[in-house]
Amino acid sequence: MHIMEGFLPHPWWEIWFALSAPAVAYGLWRMNALVKERRETLPLLAVAGAFIFVLSSLKLPSVTGSCSHPTGTGMAAIFFGPWIASVMATIVLLYQAIFLAHGGLTTLGANVFSMGIAGPIIGYAAYKGVMRLGINPYIAVFLAASLADISTYLVTSLQLALAIPAAVGGSFASFRAFAAIFALTQVPLAIVEGVVTALIFKYIAELRGDVLLELNVLSKGALNKLMEARG
Amino acid sequence: MQGTIAIHDLLDQYAHSNGLRHVDARTKLLLGGGSIVLSVLSTSPLPPLIVALSMSALILGLAKIPWRIYSRMLLIPISFALMSCGAVIFIEGSGDAVLSLSIMGSSIIVRSDGLELAALLLGRTCGGMCSLFFIALTTPMIEIFSVLRSLRVPQTFLELSMLIYRQIFVMLDEAFSIRQAQEVRLGNCNLSRSLQSYAMMASVLFIRSWERGERLMVAMDSRCYEGHLETLDEDSRIDGGQMIMVCCYLLALATIVAMISWH
Repeated sequence: MHIMEGFLPHPWWEIWFALSAPAVAYGLWRMNALVKERRETLPLLAVAGAFIFVLSSLKLPSVTGSCSHPTGTGMAAIFFGPWIASVMATIVLLYQAIFLAHGGLTTLGANVFSMGIAGPIIGYAAYKGVMRLGINPYIAVFLAASLADISTYLVTSLQLALAIPAAVGGSFASFRAFAAIFALTQVPLAIVEGVVTALIFKYIAELRGDVLLELNVLSKGALNKLMEARG
Repeated sequence: MQGTIAIHDLLDQYAHSNGLRHVDARTKLLLGGGSIVLSVLSTSPLPPLIVALSMSALILGLAKIPWRIYSRMLLIPISFALMSCGAVIFIEGSGDAVLSLSIMGSSIIVRSDGLELAALLLGRTCGGMCSLFFIALTTPMIEIFSVLRSLRVPQTFLELSMLIYRQIFVMLDEAFSIRQAQEVRLGNCNLSRSLQSYAMMASVLFIRSWERGERLMVAMDSRCYEGHLETLDEDSRIDGGQMIMVCCYLLALATIVAMISWH
């Protein structure tokens, strides 16, 4: 869910840049610390970033027939935490704007806020919360990816509504209009992305469970339990 | 899906081999970036339209991008923009009703101010997208990086961007062949199968890219990686004449934008 170049008027695009900058700066600071401590993380983050770009440029099979692209933000948040995910999202969004004409440069701040900050934070919180309850990790991954998508789409609708309020009823009315129109494509997409992310997680756990341990996504006990259930 | 991959192969390919390839990157970025900002600041659809036309003229005339390819590229953002403008039109305004429809008992009224707003947004999007395409089609990523470096963008951010840039093309290739292999084995014959195929492809891509990352680290270590990637920037000079033309264009555009918002 990208806001196109030119769609946000002054002063809103500047406001979203200002709101996103501290989070991305904090993410960068965390990343710097991580890279200093364990230098092997830089190439790993790079391939993960490229992975998210490639994933988001491949069409997902969709229920409604319209084509839709996964965002990958939920997965990035689960694997790397919300702050580093925001740095990766910034780079991926920049490349999407330049290579694919998805999004834009002045709307980068707003897009980073919805896809790189709000989505990952909600997704990460959902993953950690459900895992703490001791429910099946696949359900946690499904919820994290779907909720990250849904919150991204709601934040985008809010950004558009604040910038373009309706003459009658103000921002609230236009929020309802934007949310209703985008819901047609975004809600099915969120469910599909949730299912696909859970499946991806399952395959990775089966083939390279050690990677998930190393990233601190799963505890050893949880991984063992998953493998036993598989038999 | 073939279309998607073909298109950004092309975007990058043209950045390296277009008619404006040897113009200094700073000049091109100033022109593209300045046009984007002025399009967004404009309060009427006219200046963005001027931007869209002049950028398209540069792209087709001077950079010599085939018009067939360029027009296919423009379709993607415009279809996105039309959908969002659809939402704007139906936000009821207070102007005169231009069109009123009644569908299943509920009436939909399109008012003039909603329509004007939609035209403005569509105009801004077109102006912005054409300028963005101008940058993407004429300036290779590597040169954008060196401009960003001279603007003191954090080193880690740039290194990560460069590494991601390199990996994107390797992985797209891989994703493309996996997709083709799945397609010929009927991996997308129904919804549940295509979901599974997609997930399988994505997880294999992730695992392979992880392993590639580990190998990349060994390769970097054996080339004395010490936390910084040292690259050699090509020394390029700004052409005074071109810079003056770009500044005149932006100044003229800024004057039009200012005059319209003054009225």
